[in-house]
Amino acid sequence: MKDLYLVLKNLTRKKMRLFLTVFATFIAFMIFGTLTAFQKAFDSGVDLAADDRLIVLNKISFTQVLPIAYATRVRAVENVEAMTHLNWFGGYYQDPRSQFAMFAVDAENFMEVFDELVLSDAEREAWIDNRQGLIAGRAIADTYGWEVGDRIPINSNIFSQRDGRTDWDFDVVGIYEGEDPQTDTNGVYFHYEYFNETQSFGGDFIGFMAVRTSDPSLNETVIKTIDDMFANSPAETETVPEKAFNKAFIEQIGNLSLILTSVVLAAFFVILVIVGNSMILSIRERTGEIGVMKTLGFTSGRIFRMVLAESVLLALIGGVLGVLASGFMITLINSAPIQLPVLVLDGSVWSQAMLFVVALGFITGIVPAMSALRLNIITALSRS
Amino acid sequence: MSDDILFDLKGVSKKFVKGKDTITVFDGLDMSIARGDFLAIMGPSGSGKTTLLNMLGGVDQPTGGEIWFDGSRIDSLSENQLAAWRANNIGFIFQFYNLMPMLNAERNVELPLLLTKLSRSQRKKNIAAALELVSLSDRARHMPAEMSGGQQQRVAIARALVSDPKLMLCDEPTGDLDRETADEILSMLQLLNREYDKTIVMVTHDPEAAKYAKRTLHLDKGVFVEKDLAA
Amino acid sequence: MAGFFSQIWTVIVMNILSLPRRAWMSLAAVFAVAVVVAVLLAFLAMAKGFEKTLAGTGSDKVAIVTRVGSQSELNSVLGRDTVNNLTTAPGIAPDADGNPIYSSELFVIVDGIKRNSQTQANIPMRGIFLEGFDLRENLTIVEGRAFESGRNEIVVGKGVQQQFEGFDVGAEIRFGKTAWQVVGVFSTGGSAFESELWADAPTVQSQFQRGSSFQTVRLLLANADDVTPIKEFIDNDPTLNLDVQTEADYFASQGEALNGIAIFGWAISIVMGLGALAGALNTMYTSVAARAQETATLRAIGFSNTSAFAGTLAESMVLSIVGGIVGAFAAWLFFDGFSASTLGATFTQVVFSFELTPELFANGIQLALAIGFIGGFFPAWRSARVPVVTAFQGVE
Repeated sequence: MKDLYLVLKNLTRKKMRLFLTVFATFIAFMIFGTLTAFQKAFDSGVDLAADDRLIVLNKISFTQVLPIAYATRVRAVENVEAMTHLNWFGGYYQDPRSQFAMFAVDAENFMEVFDELVLSDAEREAWIDNRQGLIAGRAIADTYGWEVGDRIPINSNIFSQRDGRTDWDFDVVGIYEGEDPQTDTNGVYFHYEYFNETQSFGGDFIGFMAVRTSDPSLNETVIKTIDDMFANSPAETETVPEKAFNKAFIEQIGNLSLILTSVVLAAFFVILVIVGNSMILSIRERTGEIGVMKTLGFTSGRIFRMVLAESVLLALIGGVLGVLASGFMITLINSAPIQLPVLVLDGSVWSQAMLFVVALGFITGIVPAMSALRLNIITALSRS
Repeated sequence: MSDDILFDLKGVSKKFVKGKDTITVFDGLDMSIARGDFLAIMGPSGSGKTTLLNMLGGVDQPTGGEIWFDGSRIDSLSENQLAAWRANNIGFIFQFYNLMPMLNAERNVELPLLLTKLSRSQRKKNIAAALELVSLSDRARHMPAEMSGGQQQRVAIARALVSDPKLMLCDEPTGDLDRETADEILSMLQLLNREYDKTIVMVTHDPEAAKYAKRTLHLDKGVFVEKDLAA
Repeated sequence: MAGFFSQIWTVIVMNILSLPRRAWMSLAAVFAVAVVVAVLLAFLAMAKGFEKTLAGTGSDKVAIVTRVGSQSELNSVLGRDTVNNLTTAPGIAPDADGNPIYSSELFVIVDGIKRNSQTQANIPMRGIFLEGFDLRENLTIVEGRAFESGRNEIVVGKGVQQQFEGFDVGAEIRFGKTAWQVVGVFSTGGSAFESELWADAPTVQSQFQRGSSFQTVRLLLANADDVTPIKEFIDNDPTLNLDVQTEADYFASQGEALNGIAIFGWAISIVMGLGALAGALNTMYTSVAARAQETATLRAIGFSNTSAFAGTLAESMVLSIVGGIVGAFAAWLFFDGFSASTLGATFTQVVFSFELTPELFANGIQLALAIGFIGGFFPAWRSARVPVVTAFQGVE
């Protein structure tokens, strides 16, 4: 565009106003980038859930237990590739108020069901061999500074040992990573046998089972087989795909997505008004000049395009800087010592942001561009 | 120094720095203005007549020399001291009237009185007298936008004289008015000078306007030149 | 100084009277502040409502006993023997016959369908004896009757009935294999108990395979807020691994769960406030530029630059206060009393209402004032620096 020089000169003529409008845009896009990353992180539990994984729960509620005998029967079901059972342990390390996701599991089969958790073969064998061994995710290990080889005491706020103690000793034998950067690595897993033999509350019960099917298309059949098998027993089961289970759990917290979207919308609405007004004002101040340009022979259409280009450029500067800043914010939040899912700023956030840049540029530029288009030379010159 | 002298300028110089250039407007200007004078200052644009008026009004300060007013120096006063000095001694009349668009005529005239200790009732009396003097008593409640240019300038004159200043400074007071209205305004200034003993300094480029003054000085490139003294 | 305040006042009034000339610019600033304040108050009202619901639930006349370290009723397990032993402790208020007043309870989770989202969510179901009803303040059966012991009957909290489907009186509900009959609705004046289902304790024990165990014991205290004798009793008996606290303390600590939301609300509105600040500065710089000639004229007449400063600052503050009030009013209109539910500390849904208290309202206005002050200060500084010669120049 030949007129880019003029557009740039127009944009930069009032430095303070340029700075302020770019800053307002910057803020809105920073909020957008950061909150969108949050939303994606919350959704990642659903997005990253394996299609071929099913969760088998007690039909009453996921907090009700199942007899251990169910495990053998489910493993024998046709098209069940692998199965592990899990018991919520209610574990905490030192501070009873910060509980983490700790489960007593069937260690032998665990890694086969949760194949997105990456553990070296040596560590995996060390875990299976050590009855008091636990494996921890990278995120939780970093939070508490655990390293392989550490012996740590972990308390349960649900269970107690037969002698009344509520703390168990564990060897940290492995630290696993996630296959995807957003894979949750805040989990801790240990041997069911160790749990079952030491805790004092009854015995031989499991919380729920995770099943990997040989093919996602067979899920429906497997679900029906399992649930029918236990129908009319004291503990009926409800088998659901992992995706559905995770989705339901997130939704229990509330409509997070609605809250985040509303905040982003509010932020955009604010800058829309600020930037739009600023554009109208700066075009009105230039009425005389636009009149002069028209007498020089610039067509109305060309002036219209120049004004629009100016507002889009304005949105672009603020938008790009804002998304860059949100990248910085995300790094900051990820490194903070709080249990949050990993935030990632990916290409889809960028492309969505650029879409908003263009939209914002057009909406804020259209009114002043129209008035510049319609401007009559005589009125323009007499008003100056 | 005679008691009759209101303003005394001694070796006043004024230089502007514009980019790399220094523009000298005045370089050692001497002049004095007597009490009761009605002085018109004429000259082409760029001659320095507005700069001179600004310095007389304490709005602009000289780069060198001394300005004495009624026996005291004003060129070394601080900005806020100058503001207080203006409030007590000067009434300004501008080419574009400069009325506050959101205030009606009497509120505009009241502005200088807010800087005095006068009571509300006293202020009301003075405002009424000032508006009476410019024959606008019937327009007291009108907003500037509802008045003609001439009427607005009369409100401005009322505002300039309401606090009874010694000196009135007029910057092209008729520059934006037609001949007939201009004559009306100038007659009014003449009346103020003759009957109410106001000293008036008026900058203008209009020789017709200058005729109303007691004397006229011609300024060219920062110096007074003798011209048409008879007029 | 004569007329110092009157000149400042005059300039302030003139600034404000001149606002309609810059209506759109001024409205933009008002709007930006309003949105920021509304966003802040929405979050704060959410956190406050949650906190109040839980804080209003606990009584300081009742002690709640859980297994040591369990943090919540859900995690606790108490055997029959423990309960029997515990109720011999001193400091428990006796009834007319001299027996201690207590309520041993179970706390299990069942699934329900939320009305607004049609999704499954956890509802707490409390196994309780009828004597336990007396330990709740303001308890009334608003519809139907209480359950009869030994039968699969439940009374539902008002909050559950509002937020979940299928809990009308007379309805039959199935949890797993067993069917339950809804026989009544109870209210506890808006507290968290209204988010629960209540059923006969021995029936819950048998239907949920709990044997003879309970999860918590509530004790009526002989002296309000004094759990010390009970605590000493527990400490002196090595077989009792229990935590005791007043019910008020128990729920107050659970009410802190949404404090993170309040912090998030502050963080996001301060960041958004920076955007609104840019808008306010823009508006005020425009105002200063538009009024430069008026300002200079006043200065020529003899007004001080302090008055110019004050006028601009006041204009900015007025705009932001108006914005703050509009925002707070909008938040009150849309969010106050808004009923929602979220996952509480016991993995169950707590039904609560957003609450916009005067204190939060003040918070919103403070944020607006901060934006107005900073947004006005720098332009006011410029206004005070407008050269007086500007008065002699034509309108630009």
